[in-house]
Amino acid sequence: MTEIVVVGGGLTGLLASIFAVDRGAKVTLVARGRGGLTLSHGCIDVWGKATPSRALSRLRMSHPYRLAGAESLRTGLEFLRDLCHQADLPYIGNISRNLRLPTALGTIHTSALAPKSLALGDLRDNTPITIAGVDGFRDFYPELVVANLLKAGIAINDALQLPLPLSAARRDPYAMDLARSFDDQHFRDEVARIWKPRLSGIKRLGVPAILGLFNPQLAHEELQERLGMALFEIPTLPPSLPGLRLERLLQRKAMEMGVFVIEGPKVLGRVDGSAKPARVSGVVLQTAGGARTLTADIVLLATGGVLHGGLVFQQNGRVQESVLDLPVSYDEGRQHWTAYSPLETQPYANYGLRVNEQMQPLGADGLPIYTNLFCAGGLIAGADRSGEGSRQGIGVATAYRAIEAALG
Amino acid sequence: MIRPDLTTDQCLKCNICTSACPVASVSDDFLGPKAVGPQAARYRYPHRPPSVPSLTWCSGCGICSLVCPHGVAVAEINIQAKAEIEKRRKTYLRDYLISRPELLGRLASPIASLANKSLSSRPMRWLLEKSLAISSNAPLPTFASQSLRTRLRSKCVDTPPDPGLESDQMVAFFHGCSSNYYEPDLGILAVTILEQLGQSVIIPPQKCCGLPLQSNGLLTAARRYAQANISWLAPFARRGIPIVGTSTSCTLSLKHDYRVILGLQDDESNIVASSTFDFFEFLTHQLADEIDQLDFKPLIADVIYHPPCQLRSHGIGFPALKILERIPGLQIRLSESDCCGVAGTYGIKQEKSLVAYNVGRTIFEQAKQSEVDFVLSDSETCRWWIAKHTGLPVYHPLEIMAKAMDIV
Repeated sequence: MTEIVVVGGGLTGLLASIFAVDRGAKVTLVARGRGGLTLSHGCIDVWGKATPSRALSRLRMSHPYRLAGAESLRTGLEFLRDLCHQADLPYIGNISRNLRLPTALGTIHTSALAPKSLALGDLRDNTPITIAGVDGFRDFYPELVVANLLKAGIAINDALQLPLPLSAARRDPYAMDLARSFDDQHFRDEVARIWKPRLSGIKRLGVPAILGLFNPQLAHEELQERLGMALFEIPTLPPSLPGLRLERLLQRKAMEMGVFVIEGPKVLGRVDGSAKPARVSGVVLQTAGGARTLTADIVLLATGGVLHGGLVFQQNGRVQESVLDLPVSYDEGRQHWTAYSPLETQPYANYGLRVNEQMQPLGADGLPIYTNLFCAGGLIAGADRSGEGSRQGIGVATAYRAIEAALG
Repeated sequence: MIRPDLTTDQCLKCNICTSACPVASVSDDFLGPKAVGPQAARYRYPHRPPSVPSLTWCSGCGICSLVCPHGVAVAEINIQAKAEIEKRRKTYLRDYLISRPELLGRLASPIASLANKSLSSRPMRWLLEKSLAISSNAPLPTFASQSLRTRLRSKCVDTPPDPGLESDQMVAFFHGCSSNYYEPDLGILAVTILEQLGQSVIIPPQKCCGLPLQSNGLLTAARRYAQANISWLAPFARRGIPIVGTSTSCTLSLKHDYRVILGLQDDESNIVASSTFDFFEFLTHQLADEIDQLDFKPLIADVIYHPPCQLRSHGIGFPALKILERIPGLQIRLSESDCCGVAGTYGIKQEKSLVAYNVGRTIFEQAKQSEVDFVLSDSETCRWWIAKHTGLPVYHPLEIMAKAMDIV
């Protein structure tokens, strides 16, 4: 049985682990801290700037999408969608037309796939929208959403504030607190009872994403039915519920399928010094007690880019890969890392590891550095994930391709 | 050198810790680990008591540090801050008593049956609640009439065997207070398993690990215990003899808390830390070949495995699963809850017991609804607490392993 160690617990690492265990490998997932999903909107952005299916074939050959191939993206997304469907967190959408979803700032987020409770807010649908905040929750301002959407020319009805059946709280509730309340049947009954009379005439209602953590699908459907209107959620400030729900789903699925998960330790790569061609022999974990080695036939890095710890930008102007100190493609000199304005494309966004079509990191000679080392997601060079709106799509496609190449 | 206070600057205020905090999830008395920890610490003079009384609601489970992607020692910062509060007030008699399980064990062992009878009587529990604020709903352990050290006197040694003598297959057993005074049968099972796997077990001199003192903010007393343990155990560690414990909280103290929370960082504590293993970590890591050759007897049962929060902080995953999964007939579900709530002595306190109960409600309800035969958990206080609130038997995974190995 092939033993594979996946480093990184975000969308990419979790999915790669699931893909690998599905192909019969023995998988250990190591993650230092929770991954990027906790901070994410929970949608799967593939290409936000334009229609993904059309735009992707026109990308330059060094773009991660081109290297991973269209088939990897398609199969990976299909796999993810099935997984979510089975786990009662259905995702809606496809790559031939992006959803247009309102954000908590009143901007429009274009995404290929979104959880059903978010997708119902699709602005391509002309059903008039009302946006509601809830009393006591300071991370969501319906007036802001409405004002900005009106500016963008979206027909929108009104902003309103709804009460919640909470006892006097001693602190401001977090989105997570409210979501836990919505997991409770009695709380939902009470909400439906108080909200219903205040919502007459409303066809479609947008609320902050707080409708449950453990069983959001049930909470959403039930409230929708009780209120008698389309109800959708808008992701709030991180940690954001739709991201947390997806993270929880994937973590549990991975463990159920037999992935051995190790949370906590910092990870360093271990190179097999005698092997020719060069190989990695596994990783060293900095556990609470000290260093513990973990041998593996294959190592996959899904540690993310600069935002997630895969790349470390140093004071001295060096950009370093955090696990094996692999060669990073970047501009020398800190002054070149950022653009003049924060709104422009940032050069650093494109930094990362250069890989081949098998997702193996390449050396200066253009050859794989280690025959059994693969990488996926934000660590790979050549894409401005925020600008393109491609973060999750690249994660899914490269995770699929890397596992396919590694396990054949 | 790891200094928790120096990690506060790495905090991005992302609130991942808050969303994962088991206590903040169920109580708005607690502002959350970030708010009382890295955030408040910025406004705190070193070694002054924190101005946030809400801090005392922290149970010390350590999940916040575990999930932090930026390496902030959130739990450690909070425990140290709690200790600053404690330093400036007279210790409650209750806290003095419940943080000294070894003292209680020594006093009560000779009169075990009398002590057990009176502690389990309702009037006595009422009295304890009224006089000492020890919750009458909390499980109190029962004292064994003979301690493990008495029963295994022949294995107790003061110093490691002379150099030159064979110490290859030797294991030093850290029994902790629980295996010594409360559950010696468990300790004996652990020793028997190790011996069947070809190890020769010795029992080094040791005191309570000091964790209960540390959790109650009594760091000076905890440090005395820690220093004694380090000076007794270091000679064994230096001889290359692994220190193995069945209580995931004691072993975490040896590995991590002595150095990072109590600030005892030197060669001796480092070698003790790196030589310490959780029981199942040792089996799966050091005795993998022996384990592979074991033939487990089938055991038909549907069970929940609840990994204690203290085990999570080891950064080694849940190694017991690797062995449990090999027992034919054993259907294992994972606990839906990150923490059972009791967090050592937290749940015993009357003012905390309701919050502690609510923290664990998910696992209690899961256990009842799924109609499992029993629950498994590595830490003694978790086992007692879950048993109390579910009415189900709760075993240490090693008891099941012993059964499947035909050890009774």
